[in-house]
Amino acid sequence: MGGQPLYLEPRLGPRLRSLLTAADVLHGLTGALGSPLNVVVPDQIAENLGEFRAVYAAHHLAGQVFLAHKANRSHALLRRLAGTDAGVDVASLGELQHALGAGFTPDRIVATGPKNPEFLWLAARTGVTVGVDSRAELDQLAALVRPHALPPATVLLRLSGFEASGVRVLSRPSRFGTPVRELAALLDAVEGHAGAVELAGVAYHLDTTSVAEKATALEGCLAALEECRRRGLRPRAVDIGGGYGVDYLADGGQWDRYTSELTAAALGTRPPLAWGGHGYGLRNDSGTLRGALGLYPGHRPVAGARYLGELLARPAATAGGRSLATLLLEHLYDLYTEPGRALLDQCGLTLAKVLEVREPGGEAPLMVRLALTAGDMALEQHGVLMDPVLVPGDGGDAALGGAAPRTTDAAGTTGAASAPPATGDPVAVHLFGSLCLESDMVTRRTVFLPRRPAPGDLLAFANTAGYAMDFHATGAQLQPLARTAAVWQEAGGWRWCLDDQYWPTTPSKGLK
Amino acid sequence: MRYDSITEAIGNTPLVRIDPAVHGLAHIDLYAKLEMMNPFGSVKDRAAWNMAGPHLAAAARDGSQVVELSSGNTAKALAVIAGMHGLGFKSVTNRMRVPEIKDLLLLLGAEIEELPGQSECLDPTATDDPLTLFHRKLSEPGSAYLHTDQYFNQRNVEAHRTGTGPEIVKDLGGRAPDWFVACVGTAGSSTGVAQALRGHDPQVRVVGLVAEKSDFIPGIRSIDEAHEVGLFDPGTYDTVEAVAADDAIEGMLTLNRRCGILAGPTSGAAYFGAVRRLREADAALTERQSAVFIVCDRVESYLSYVRRRRPDLFGAPQRSAGPADLSEAEIRKAPAVGVADAQAWLATGRPLVVDLRSPYAFAALHIDGSVNIVDEVFGELLRGGLPFSRSRPVLLACPVGEKSARYAALLGRMGHPDVRSLAGGIIAWRDAGAPLVRD
Repeated sequence: MGGQPLYLEPRLGPRLRSLLTAADVLHGLTGALGSPLNVVVPDQIAENLGEFRAVYAAHHLAGQVFLAHKANRSHALLRRLAGTDAGVDVASLGELQHALGAGFTPDRIVATGPKNPEFLWLAARTGVTVGVDSRAELDQLAALVRPHALPPATVLLRLSGFEASGVRVLSRPSRFGTPVRELAALLDAVEGHAGAVELAGVAYHLDTTSVAEKATALEGCLAALEECRRRGLRPRAVDIGGGYGVDYLADGGQWDRYTSELTAAALGTRPPLAWGGHGYGLRNDSGTLRGALGLYPGHRPVAGARYLGELLARPAATAGGRSLATLLLEHLYDLYTEPGRALLDQCGLTLAKVLEVREPGGEAPLMVRLALTAGDMALEQHGVLMDPVLVPGDGGDAALGGAAPRTTDAAGTTGAASAPPATGDPVAVHLFGSLCLESDMVTRRTVFLPRRPAPGDLLAFANTAGYAMDFHATGAQLQPLARTAAVWQEAGGWRWCLDDQYWPTTPSKGLK
Repeated sequence: MRYDSITEAIGNTPLVRIDPAVHGLAHIDLYAKLEMMNPFGSVKDRAAWNMAGPHLAAAARDGSQVVELSSGNTAKALAVIAGMHGLGFKSVTNRMRVPEIKDLLLLLGAEIEELPGQSECLDPTATDDPLTLFHRKLSEPGSAYLHTDQYFNQRNVEAHRTGTGPEIVKDLGGRAPDWFVACVGTAGSSTGVAQALRGHDPQVRVVGLVAEKSDFIPGIRSIDEAHEVGLFDPGTYDTVEAVAADDAIEGMLTLNRRCGILAGPTSGAAYFGAVRRLREADAALTERQSAVFIVCDRVESYLSYVRRRRPDLFGAPQRSAGPADLSEAEIRKAPAVGVADAQAWLATGRPLVVDLRSPYAFAALHIDGSVNIVDEVFGELLRGGLPFSRSRPVLLACPVGEKSARYAALLGRMGHPDVRSLAGGIIAWRDAGAPLVRD
């Protein structure tokens, strides 16, 4: 592979860092529950909520932070959040049932996404707020209310197709939301359904990392709400969805270096960085780089609550330079946000046991087979490139921080009898899953580990709780699906229970 | 100097020597090629005119629209040229991060389309990035576009090979400089000038400058981005070096303040990169050498860019009697009145109610009978003295009672006997069920 190893170290908060150094705990867990294994850290989600709440407080804004449920189906995370003042955004009948069962009262739930009649009925029956995607869905909801003797349904109108003044911002086509130019007809319908639906406000959800596009949409929502008020409706809230992002990597320099090398590899001026010369979307067109890098921006210093803060502090283009937060406040609107990934930042990791280390010979990277499938740990599907952390099977310390000085690993391992001794030098590996499909690669990228892995070691993929943990997992091949354990810190150590056994009362501190 | 058309004023820009006392090089004469003196303000005037010129008559006949992927100076020049010939101009870009340029383009009649930001939820099966879609649209049969294609069009390079480069040689008395330093954007000027200079003297050393990868300098690409440019050939440059945004601004300040050259940050990067590279060479020299760098455009368009990175350069002097000067204790002591008491007071004491929110929010809902003076305007008013009589009691209202407390304290300090802040603000008023009107 020539040249320096290219590390992409994960950014680790204190909880995950501490957990990863507790190798005995992690081996104990996989010993009991098998590999792959998801580990969630419920206390972290409460801390993340606090960061979002702090942004609200800094701008004196009232409103609600709703976890986007689909990002992780863990019972423990949801129940821990039910013990705070947060809400949950559900996108299916099952998620709504789960949220109600976890202790969320209807005033703390919004129902979004495509909905079937059962989902709409239960939402209206229990009185959760419904994010209405289209005129047809509004009619469908209203039609349920009287025949089924339901209370009036509270609705947020999801809008799309916002126009910036002066400059046209091209937007990625979306199937969701009602174009804002059709607002008048939609409001006519709301008025026509008076008594059956009650308007809580308007919403948007944009799939973009661009603050500017979101600011345009938020200003568009303020204009739409003014139109609601002009008609005598009484809107209270703007729901600005999610998409605040996560900063996955510890070191921006590593990310810059990696992506530069990826460019060089695509142009053929250095050896490939991935299996089969995969270029993650980049290609060489007679010496000129073409295509687009299909990767999540792994190093994002402005992510999560900070991103929300930046959006809210942005001056509105149409209101004399006052910030969007000030406008929301002055107009007396509540702010709803629906972070998924960002609220689950640092809330979990996925463990996989090393089954086999194969030497293809020559300079080629080692082939490492893991006891998991690519669907169990789907960072790659989301374009997130991040090194796993090696948790040795001999009870030694986890090899944290690929490029950091390594002093504890020189002795090699004694735990895995069939494997050659692990050495202290960095090694390049390709990580394979347990399916016999060429496509089942845990990551296409050549991964550098700070030392050679051996059967019996664990690889820990950090920060997988947001979408990467069980979003893509499927039982189609009758391979065991990852189980989930919840862990928490108590009396200086780590305690655990099965995910479905966790309640906010589970830790003994909760019972005191 | 008399011209029949402004486009005749493109080119023949001055070559100005930088005072050695400023750059400190002992053996190298450093010259700035002032491309900012082109009529539309930048080095891009040459390329825009050379690329679009030959096609304008046909485009006018077909009713075509001029289209370019440009975030700034090329768009500016093309917008003017298109307008002069009765054509529309559209710029498509994802790099337009300088608001003044955006506004200027709108002023010039350009249509701007910004490409969307990256998807938060990546779909690795997606094959169409917005740029690909844009190119597909351009090549649709029957489409009427004049796409100047600056990143791939050899006429961009040619403008500098036949214009900028020979002008430098002429002004140096028929000799090519020993060094040529240029920032890499489209690579058009650096490539064209390098070709012309090397035609005179193959020994010319060419330094290409790119932006640090994590930094943004307008008009300059990072080394990875440079590879996306069809005109970029690493073989053109003896070295390609990176400049940080902070250094570009420092270089710009030197040009602005010490050389009288009102150049923008791209030129600052060229100056900084040139001096950094030449200082090394200078130490080993015994005979005289010369070096030229390109001053691409003017500083005026980049004030907000500079302000974001160097607010210290815009530090306004402290003014007296501002709400920011109050201590927390003073603000806490400001008289406040709760919603119920305020309602009673309104009925009996006839206080003047001043709502400090923005006019949009005020128009939407407010306390009946109140007047709207936006906080910033109110602050300005107070600098001139009390804006209302001492005999009239005043109730100040803002969203949550924070700003109003501040101004109540300030008015108290200024001698008003009865100013109170609405505790909890309009939000508390609403939450208590007190009436709000829109009229």
